[in-house]
Amino acid sequence: MADVRLDGLSKSFGKLDVIKDISLEIEDGEFVVLIGPSGCGKSTLLRMIAGLESISSGRLDIGGLPMNDVPSRDRGISMVFQSYALYPHMNTADNMSFSLRLAGEDVATRLGKVARAAETLGLEPYLDRLPKQLSGGQRQRVAMGRAIVRKPEVFLFDEPLSNLDAKLRVKMRAELKELHQKLKTTTIYVTHDQVEAMTLADRIVVLRDGEIEQIGTPLELYDNPAKAFVGSFLGSPTMNLLDLEVSAEDTAMARFSDGDAIRLALPATPGRATVGIRPECFTLRSADAPGALRAEVVVVEPTGASTELLVRKAGQNITVLTHERLNTRPGDNVWLVPDVDRVHTFNDDAAA
Amino acid sequence: MTHPTDIHASSALPRRRTRLAVSERQLAVARHLVLMGFALVVLFPFFWIVSAAFKTQIDLLVGKVFFTPHLDGFLDVMFDKTSDFARNFANSMVIGLISTFLVLIVSTLAAFSLYRLQWPAWVLHSILGWSVIFHLVPPITLAGAWFSMFRSVGLDNSYAGIILAHTTLHLPMALWMMGVFVRDVPKELVEAAQIDGAKVPDILWHVVLPIVRPGLAATGILTFIFSWNEFPVALVLSQRQTATVPLGIGKYAQENTIAFTEMAAASTLSIIPAFLLLLFAQRFIVRGLTSGAVK
Repeated sequence: MADVRLDGLSKSFGKLDVIKDISLEIEDGEFVVLIGPSGCGKSTLLRMIAGLESISSGRLDIGGLPMNDVPSRDRGISMVFQSYALYPHMNTADNMSFSLRLAGEDVATRLGKVARAAETLGLEPYLDRLPKQLSGGQRQRVAMGRAIVRKPEVFLFDEPLSNLDAKLRVKMRAELKELHQKLKTTTIYVTHDQVEAMTLADRIVVLRDGEIEQIGTPLELYDNPAKAFVGSFLGSPTMNLLDLEVSAEDTAMARFSDGDAIRLALPATPGRATVGIRPECFTLRSADAPGALRAEVVVVEPTGASTELLVRKAGQNITVLTHERLNTRPGDNVWLVPDVDRVHTFNDDAAA
Repeated sequence: MTHPTDIHASSALPRRRTRLAVSERQLAVARHLVLMGFALVVLFPFFWIVSAAFKTQIDLLVGKVFFTPHLDGFLDVMFDKTSDFARNFANSMVIGLISTFLVLIVSTLAAFSLYRLQWPAWVLHSILGWSVIFHLVPPITLAGAWFSMFRSVGLDNSYAGIILAHTTLHLPMALWMMGVFVRDVPKELVEAAQIDGAKVPDILWHVVLPIVRPGLAATGILTFIFSWNEFPVALVLSQRQTATVPLGIGKYAQENTIAFTEMAAASTLSIIPAFLLLLFAQRFIVRGLTSGAVK
């Protein structure tokens, strides 16, 4: 096991800078998720750590050793690809033991290691099947088995669950988490799915346009996004981003165009402000109350456990999530009381 | 109001459907007639040559359609003391097999290197472009130069000379074919192997080669058949001892007489290796070996 240190890592393809000066320290045994919209450079960054892309500038250390010019095979890493990349002409056991065979281990050791990995992953019945004879979830597991038999210092995952159907994805997500708890190997995991990031990560790194937007534990990022982009990227339903006006007289209030105002957690600079409030950070009232915002209900979506309301306030849409059972209908008026401590003011726009 | 039109519509529909069905069947018949026509055009020369091989020279020349089959042509070609055909056959086998082997080695290595080892684009394009240009040059224009080159180094009238010439001639086609097959090997497989600890020769041997096996079979068969059929270069570079099958067949057309039945018998015999090869290798030329690798 090893720590991973990225120091000013950059990558350019010709004139295009894909990764811009990224520094990050990943501790031994940590599960770090790189997340961002497509084209943000998260896969490229992972491939640079894997040694599949060259590093234009900066320094990469794994386990305290410089790795910039070390070939993939000597970096002590394993990687699970989005497409699994199983060798089509080899059965499950051969796929898993290929790296051991190349390392020159004898047949008995190989078989033992494969058997142990197969047991961990529940692959024993499929050891002599070819990849084409396996289901998607089984292939996924073989790819993971191939990664764990080598006992790597670092696991790299490149969107490993995105080819699975929704149900299987949830199951494999839990298995992945369990596997990490068991093996405690440093893991770097790339995804564009915020639920995977939230549920799996010790720390999340949010990337945009090849730069780090914010690093933190899942709940830190959820509760205290530094930017509107981060706030809107994590969480479902998405954070409401309201375009409001802060007047010079009272910098602790942000006003809608109809005059109603939201109290801000911290005073803001006067002018236009992007105010972010998560859908669950409102209290619903059926009558006016101090600090409440009157809004018109547009859509009601009950899911059983909770109800999602889409309301309109001064021409802006607001999503509200509540666990109460409601009997409001579209066209009704409701009064929203935002939770002052969880109102965020941003100075960027969330063009994700 | 809508009733009358409804009735019309419902009665018109089935009628149109029957008309369609008839025209579809007619179309199928027409299509099959065309295909049978093509088959006839392709197969008739075979039929003619094979039947000619079983006729006597006189039957053939008077154009008999119904005849008593004779094996004289075959016996002459195979066992007559003056016939070189058995030797021609062996020569063609040796030259075809060795040049095919060389072509496969070079073209596979080249395709793997060009498509999977990250060369700058201009290297890839200039090599592929040059190979096309070379392929477009008529072989006979090269044969003269090869003849004088080979003679000066003592390779004229030798297997080595013809093998080298055939290898060179058929390399561009093989390179293009193997290029397509190698490009079809998913990049992630190569990357996965790299991470698994494979060096370049391991990747080629353990990952790429097993996957492109159908491609090797297809390319190998084509190369062999091309070499088997090649006439002008073999004519220039060989003499009696190293003459190949097409030269042997050609020799039955002499200045004064044309031994039609022997020629037909030799042609018939020359079809056999390619035919067997295709039968044997057909099961290798199956796509879909990579299914299950990615996605």
